[in-house]
Amino acid sequence: MSSVSPTFFRREYARLVAGLSRRFGVEVLELAEDAASTALLRAVETWPRSGEPRNPSAWLWTVAHNALTGELRTRGNRARLLASQAGTEPSLEPSPRVRLGSEIDDDQLRMLFVCCDPALAIEAQLALALKTLCGLSVAEIAQRTFSGEAAVYKRLARARKQLNAQGRERIFEAGLESLRRRRPAVQATLYLLFTEGHLSTHPELAIRRELCSEAIRLGVMLARHEVGDPASSALVALMFLHRARLSARTGEGGGLLLLSEQDRSAWNPDDIAEGMCWLAASASGDALTRYHLEAGIAAEHAMAPSFEATDWERIATLYEQLEVVSRSPLHRLNRALALAQWRGAEAGLELVRDRAPPTWLEGSVLWSATLADLCRRAGEANEAARWRAAALASAPSEAVRELLLRRLVK
Amino acid sequence: MPKFLCLQRKLPSPDSANSAKPSPAQMADMYAQFNAWRERHAASLVDLGGKLGSGKVVSAESADGPFVEVKELVGGYMIVEAEDLEAAATIAGACPGLVRPGSGVEVIEIHVPGA
Repeated sequence: MSSVSPTFFRREYARLVAGLSRRFGVEVLELAEDAASTALLRAVETWPRSGEPRNPSAWLWTVAHNALTGELRTRGNRARLLASQAGTEPSLEPSPRVRLGSEIDDDQLRMLFVCCDPALAIEAQLALALKTLCGLSVAEIAQRTFSGEAAVYKRLARARKQLNAQGRERIFEAGLESLRRRRPAVQATLYLLFTEGHLSTHPELAIRRELCSEAIRLGVMLARHEVGDPASSALVALMFLHRARLSARTGEGGGLLLLSEQDRSAWNPDDIAEGMCWLAASASGDALTRYHLEAGIAAEHAMAPSFEATDWERIATLYEQLEVVSRSPLHRLNRALALAQWRGAEAGLELVRDRAPPTWLEGSVLWSATLADLCRRAGEANEAARWRAAALASAPSEAVRELLLRRLVK
Repeated sequence: MPKFLCLQRKLPSPDSANSAKPSPAQMADMYAQFNAWRERHAASLVDLGGKLGSGKVVSAESADGPFVEVKELVGGYMIVEAEDLEAAATIAGACPGLVRPGSGVEVIEIHVPGA
């Protein structure tokens, strides 16, 4: 029986690309990706016949390393690049220097920091991370981010080119100070990667779960590294706490379920426990970040015995703090919902009507559905009917429409 | 039971030239499928063979070259034991990755004197 797990090839791909890029420079990123693919393909072809090697990772590293140096040699870059390798010419036997586990982790962490270059558009950072660190192909990235393959391909090509531009920080050699400066950008990209899976309308739960898990894996890597900080731990906590509820968010027919409708026994207790541990770990230092607050809110929901018995006062307060840390009308809307649970629909409505929403929000289903719900509960029947019609008209998918029909009873 | 030589034939295909390498997830699938196929037919797989490398022609007289190298036509080989040609072709044809655009398999019975 094979000892190789289903994620083995993707994990090894990420390790190989990061390790090779570190040794040969980001300039050869695309060649490093090719070399990693070549090594994996060789494994697929030979291991079933010869048996799996005793140390599969070392075997792959040797093959990929040789494939890359071979390619560089043919490209005539040999002199320049091998010189930086201290003149050691790699060959299949003896194998290139064995790498330590901690070194491999550091390679990947730095690769993550390379991808999250603030000079790149956030979509490009995301695509690059999915390609190099999660081992997804262009087609797989396109499918997961609802983009065309050509667009993803172009995005990646442009990103690689930008990484090679003059004057870009050399992250693989950079000190901890430089890494710390880029840390917020890395956290923002991981957060986006997670929401791609968590809030995605992708029909396949497995795919959404996979994106969430990749974000968690990279987040844990960051939080455990010496460049990690309390905000990184809070980010990891919030991702675990949200993932705990992922499966319960959809009903049997695949439709979306509201928090109040979800079967709480379907929430994953391991994820909740893990999230609470990371939340405890994040409670150091004096910075209260949006990740801390969002993790705090998710923890309140996760620990509440039922929708009714939720500590809505605490949640409303956390959203209020969140509004201060990161100004978004969405936080205000959520605060209004918590307030409505705590002190009644009128209190929620008052908060929502206190300030005019931006156009993008006013025209969204989220806004009209929330108002329809609050107005109905506050006894404003005419207003409720008006917002209900607006919400149904702007529902982006059948699943959302169904949810609205169920939720916004006349 | 008769044995059969299975040759992976390189076939002309419009797609094979620019086909991208499979993704790591696809490779994991290929690996799992190949292992499953191998385990299912373990009793029939006499020799899983392998890819062909470079070779040399040894002949009695100096024939006029150049010859078409066998590896230009044949990618690899394996030996299968089966009831008949049909059964052998079924086993070989089910080998993951063998029958696809640009690749096929030729199954040939090996006649052993006295067998």
